[in-house]
Amino acid sequence: QDAKTITAKGVITSQAGEPLGGVNVTVKGSTKGVITETDGSYQLEASPNAVLVISYVGYLTREIKLGNTSAVNVNIQLLPNKNEMNEVVVVGYGTRKKSDVTGAIVSISEQSIKDIPAANLTQALQGQGAGIDIQKNGGNSKPGATPSILIRGSRSVRAGNDPLIVVDNIPFNGNINDLNQDDVASVEILKDASSTAIYGSRGANGVILVTTKRGKSGRPVITYNSYVGQVRVLKEFPVMNTQEFAAFKKWALYNGRFSGNNRTYSSPDDPLLISQNFSAEEIESMNTGRSTNWQKLMYKPGIITNHQLGYTGGNESTQYALSGGYFKETGIYYGQGFERYSLKASVDQQFGKRVKIGISTLNTFTVTDGEGANPMGQALRASPMVSPYNPDGTLLNDFVPGSASQVWNPLANFEVEGASIQKRKRFGTFTTAFADVNIIKGLKYRFNAGVELRNDIYGDFFASKTTNNLGGLSTSQNRTSFRTNYTLENIITYDKTIAKKHSVLFTGLFSLQEQVTQGNEFRNNTILSDDLEYFNPTYGANLVGEGSHEKWDILSYMGRLNYSYNDRYLLTLTMRVDGSSRLAPGNQFKTFPSAAVAWNIWKESFMDNVSAFSNLKLRASYGRVGNTAINAYQTLGSLSPVVYNFGDITTTGLYLSNVSNPDLTWEYTSTVNVGLDFGMLKNRLSGSIEIYKQFTDNLLLPQNLPSTTGIPNAIVTNIGKTENKGIELQLSSVNFQGKGRKDFSWTTDLNVFINRGKITQLANGVTKDVANNWFVGHPIGVFYDWKKVGIWQATAADTAAALALGQTVNGVGSVIGNIRRADISGPEGKPDGKLTDTYDRMILGSSQPKWEGGITNRFSYRGFDLTVVAFARWGHMIRSNLHGGGFANTFQGTYNNIKTPYWTPTNGENEYPKPNANNTNTPNNSLLGFFDGSFVKIRTLSLGYNLPPSYIKRLRARAVRIYTTVEDPFILFSPFVNKYGGIDPEAAGSSTSPSNATLNLDTPSNWSLILGINISL
Amino acid sequence: CKKKLIEDPKSILTPAFFSTTQGFQQGLDAAYAGTRLIWGNQDYFTITVIGTDEFRRGIDGNSDINVYSSGYTPSTGVINANWRNAYTFINTCNGVIDNAANVDVPAAKKKTMVAEAKFLRANYYFLLVQFWGDVTLNKNFVSTPSTAATRQPMAEVYDFIVQDLKDAIADLPAGLIKDVLPGKATRAAAKHLLAKVYLTRGGSSAAKATDYADALVTAKDLIDTRATHGLNLLQDFGKVFEEGNEANSEVIWSVQHTSNLAFNGPNNSGVSNFSADNVLNHMWVPQYERQPAMIRSTLYGRPYIRCIPTRWTTDTVFTNKANDTRYGKTFQTVWLANNPDPASYPKWPTPLPAGAPAGAVSGQPKFAFGDTAIFMPGVDRTNAQIAASKPLVIPPRNYNSSLSPYMMKYNDTKRANLNFPSIRPVIAYRLAETYLIAAEAAFRTGNMGDAVTYINTIRTRAAFPTGDPLTLQITAADINIDFILDERTRELCGELTRWLDLVRTGKLLERVKLHNSEAAPNILSKHILRPIPQAQIDAVVTGPKYPQNLDW
Repeated sequence: QDAKTITAKGVITSQAGEPLGGVNVTVKGSTKGVITETDGSYQLEASPNAVLVISYVGYLTREIKLGNTSAVNVNIQLLPNKNEMNEVVVVGYGTRKKSDVTGAIVSISEQSIKDIPAANLTQALQGQGAGIDIQKNGGNSKPGATPSILIRGSRSVRAGNDPLIVVDNIPFNGNINDLNQDDVASVEILKDASSTAIYGSRGANGVILVTTKRGKSGRPVITYNSYVGQVRVLKEFPVMNTQEFAAFKKWALYNGRFSGNNRTYSSPDDPLLISQNFSAEEIESMNTGRSTNWQKLMYKPGIITNHQLGYTGGNESTQYALSGGYFKETGIYYGQGFERYSLKASVDQQFGKRVKIGISTLNTFTVTDGEGANPMGQALRASPMVSPYNPDGTLLNDFVPGSASQVWNPLANFEVEGASIQKRKRFGTFTTAFADVNIIKGLKYRFNAGVELRNDIYGDFFASKTTNNLGGLSTSQNRTSFRTNYTLENIITYDKTIAKKHSVLFTGLFSLQEQVTQGNEFRNNTILSDDLEYFNPTYGANLVGEGSHEKWDILSYMGRLNYSYNDRYLLTLTMRVDGSSRLAPGNQFKTFPSAAVAWNIWKESFMDNVSAFSNLKLRASYGRVGNTAINAYQTLGSLSPVVYNFGDITTTGLYLSNVSNPDLTWEYTSTVNVGLDFGMLKNRLSGSIEIYKQFTDNLLLPQNLPSTTGIPNAIVTNIGKTENKGIELQLSSVNFQGKGRKDFSWTTDLNVFINRGKITQLANGVTKDVANNWFVGHPIGVFYDWKKVGIWQATAADTAAALALGQTVNGVGSVIGNIRRADISGPEGKPDGKLTDTYDRMILGSSQPKWEGGITNRFSYRGFDLTVVAFARWGHMIRSNLHGGGFANTFQGTYNNIKTPYWTPTNGENEYPKPNANNTNTPNNSLLGFFDGSFVKIRTLSLGYNLPPSYIKRLRARAVRIYTTVEDPFILFSPFVNKYGGIDPEAAGSSTSPSNATLNLDTPSNWSLILGINISL
Repeated sequence: CKKKLIEDPKSILTPAFFSTTQGFQQGLDAAYAGTRLIWGNQDYFTITVIGTDEFRRGIDGNSDINVYSSGYTPSTGVINANWRNAYTFINTCNGVIDNAANVDVPAAKKKTMVAEAKFLRANYYFLLVQFWGDVTLNKNFVSTPSTAATRQPMAEVYDFIVQDLKDAIADLPAGLIKDVLPGKATRAAAKHLLAKVYLTRGGSSAAKATDYADALVTAKDLIDTRATHGLNLLQDFGKVFEEGNEANSEVIWSVQHTSNLAFNGPNNSGVSNFSADNVLNHMWVPQYERQPAMIRSTLYGRPYIRCIPTRWTTDTVFTNKANDTRYGKTFQTVWLANNPDPASYPKWPTPLPAGAPAGAVSGQPKFAFGDTAIFMPGVDRTNAQIAASKPLVIPPRNYNSSLSPYMMKYNDTKRANLNFPSIRPVIAYRLAETYLIAAEAAFRTGNMGDAVTYINTIRTRAAFPTGDPLTLQITAADINIDFILDERTRELCGELTRWLDLVRTGKLLERVKLHNSEAAPNILSKHILRPIPQAQIDAVVTGPKYPQNLDW
């Protein structure tokens, strides 16, 4: 008897040790099988040496050979399956099985989001999907800063390139910070026009579908996730110390002080120079080597912490989920912070057989401190030769000596409590509800509703004695806005299979969305007491204010037909019609069609013998979508206010500033996309390749009117075109698949993508628009400037060459030692011996990378898991305001300077110019700011340990994982960092100038180390 | 549901509002506000003050337009700013004038308001025609976009200006200036401007034979009826530009700025992207703060140092400084030590220089807080004398582009702090200039007696209180156009009109070459007109190209 059957039992868990309920455990070659309990346990009888097949949607199927002993204890860990064909994918207004999807969609799993504990969801998506380019906006590293997202590059020059975010089926208009990462179950990113066409006029920049967690039936589960950690500055900005700055300043004075054509000083070390230009304190510092490191005094470690408590459960008819979260991060200097409180609840209830309703509410309250506070410009310029403290030890609350009354002691912002306050409070609720009605078999009606209410209050106060007001009047402002947004959707679906092989799914939609935003703002100064901050304008002077009110509506009709023949040939046809209040009457309704086909090659009979492929699908799509970014009332024209006074009587005049353009319409983007999905070796290697080309036309561009019309502002018109094309590769592989907890497993997710964008048409045959950096045939927002060819040296040859170019070589204005620019061309198309704006500036580079990519490696062994996420951008240019522009690299010597090997008459320096006290900025200083922005960055390093099941059982827990994560620890292969003393080359422009990647002189980048625990009971 | 798509703005005003009764009033106010972009604004200062015989570029001045270098092109920003602002507010005036028929305002008030708009429109067009010659002439409100434009002959533009001013003279209030709100247009202001327009057209290629005579009649009329407007020359030239005295009886029309910090503060006063602050207080301030015992202060100003007086201005043109008090009332030449830090004070060297004053001790400060720290005697001093002096003595040979006498007519000590713009109204037209216009017109028409009378009136006043007016009297033999220009410098130095005066009299090239050493090698005849802004040329994409001025 015993020899014939044995009892196998055990627990099936995920890689993280979380028990998996509902897993199929079958005996291969028989009909025997069981389903695991909610605690993951199973038990079944099988013959000795039988093979158990363990399968579960979303996970790789495992086969385990049993031995011949009875009562075998088999605990099995399942690895997620990246490309499982039965997995359900959210596609917008519905879901599809992955095998039925015809568009280009990237799915980001809960696991991937969990891997990167970040302040907001966008940061967690960095490096995770092909075609998704996420970067710090302006290099901003303040707590609560939101990164910018580009999907497949940028296509609009003025209308914005932000993708549409849809949360639980409802277009979301909040800030990405209003979402709690821990509440997100999955993220789908729709990239091609076939996928986004259902969002019509809002689909052009891609769509991010966020699905939040909901309850599951089964025993209630309590989860607690928490981490605490520290945030530290990645690196100090490289500025000069006393010795370096003193030498630099002496050169600046020697080079810049003239009487007529004679130098005022005999040498940089002329005693007269020192006595006339250095104070006693500065001279003492020079003699003693005493040096103030202002940055060191300012920076301090920030803290980061996150707590999330969740409770889910339910039965067949009712499921619920409840969670509360708290996140806090403080900055690397005083006054910066971001806090988020969130509360989410969802209930899904089945009524009888036909009706199901559900409701979910996401509520967040966030507080952002110091979002604009930026004393860096002052801190980097403060002289190292002077002390921030008075002789009696108190804070010097005044201009930093030796800084031409331009630099206030930056510590005054921090050390004087309440001197610099900026606070934003946002409260919002985003509630969605649905009702599903099964009318007859196959025919369903769904009503979706979403309401978003958001209140945003911002206030700031700067005391007189701060880097902001430099001893002038204290200032404050207060801004409030309140937004209501509702969406109502009626969706009909009809699902029918005819003659077993023809499967038809029709989706019809009618929806209305309305948003009303209202805001007020007031500012005043001379606040009676600093303690009042920004709260009461009664106790201030010179109150001014503004208000705003904006309402828009979109009325939409959409129809989508999915047809498949024998699961092999798939067709999707979509048509959306959007009517928008933002367009002029008679011009409001626009149509957005798309079509897609796919072929499940792997299901063909001829593939039966090709065992290597577990999936092979070819897709092609074409569609046209819009970019909705026309502001409300823009088609109406407007008057502008201008203030005047007749003596003491103040009046606000009005003049015509914007005229109406009733023909204004959306920007349209048409995309052709061809994709191939594949899974090989039982999906141990899977992935997809996408090739696309996008054509954007009707580009919204400002058309300047001749000033003589008397209409000062450009009118926005639909002129201009852009194109984007690219290749994207996404790969997942299971490099080592261990059998159980004790074995070594290694998986890799890799994405690499290339996007090439260019402007193909501008207004009225204009081929270059220098003012806006738009050039036909080039990407949006290139860097256009003079060509730097070194430094003018003090040689006869250089002097002659400079003279030939009409440059001054004597006296205070001498170019010797300054940046040398090339004479590139002239009116005749060749160098003309002159340096002119028109002919001698060129496109130096673009912020469009040659390629981008991300890689995630996960290792697990004996309960330990290690995750490494890296991403790269390669072959693009950035502009650093630290080096060129800004105030930290002026070479004037009036303020401290970036530590650079500046030119002297004898050192032959050919990169950096001479210091010159006579120039506010070294001429053409912008040329010092262009760098190769390439980098590879380790985004996250995370080491976790799942407590062994035996131990967990004793704790009566389902799973416990402890981990430590380092965020942004290393930047590799970055010439900007390694060669030029930069801190972090990651920088994106704003949404409306996405490619104008500029690193502002702002809070430096930081890294963090956290310790965390995930408990599931 | 489709009703949802109808827009109903609540926080913006659409162009239709402009033609309502309320919009009519606000439009006129905006037409006035536009004058702030001229009088008080750096852009207008740049094209009227610097690059003349009076002032040359200071160390922080524009090295292109102010020295007429090759970098001064149709793309130069200040050129476009002045051009654009003028047309924006001409359109505003046109809107007011065109809408007048449709609005519900009492007839008398409406008539005055239209006359005010015409006076303002004449100012804007006068500015355009003087700087650019033939310009686009919009007689009516433009509210639909167009990318076409043409230039009308100067003569046509002048005719339009003259007609506007004649209408304004007829309909504007005739009484005392102080009876209207400060800054409002009056009949006197329209007369002054009309006289100047005639005089200017008389010197242009659009000249009419009657222009100089008309200028004389118009100016003379204003001078003769001055009492009816409450106008008269002040007794003391020094009081004309005294802080707080901008509404004095010599002022015909001023452009208002405000001490209300809500609307005056770095970039507050414009509201919509205009920088409408009065920054004239900053423009001339030299870098006194870099000298021993000195720090930057609200009293002495923020050293923008956009321009410095030429040596001709400081040394030559004020010929009789002993009796003509105007040099001393126009230029500051003494700064008192204001640095509280004792270490900043210069010390006597060892050994003491020869001729050191009694009480000088080696190693001890040369002077103390509140003592004279900088002194510009206006005449030469030897190096030995300089070395033996307590304060820093700067004789003319040591003037440089960062420190020389300070033109102080626009000084403002009552602004909020040293970085703030001026709160003072800017005097656009004053009676002393009416006398000089009358004198110039009299000279041009051969009425030498009148010319002598008008000039001597001004010069007599210039002697008050310490000079002997008799030494300043001139005769017909002294008068020629150069003398008139010299007299204008002595009286109107820095008053935002010099460049235009030189163009009107055909003396720009000659005098810049003579007196402005930095600009002299560069100035060409094409510089007599400003270039049409490249932005204008680029934006005309329908119909014929917009013509550029000769040689630009």
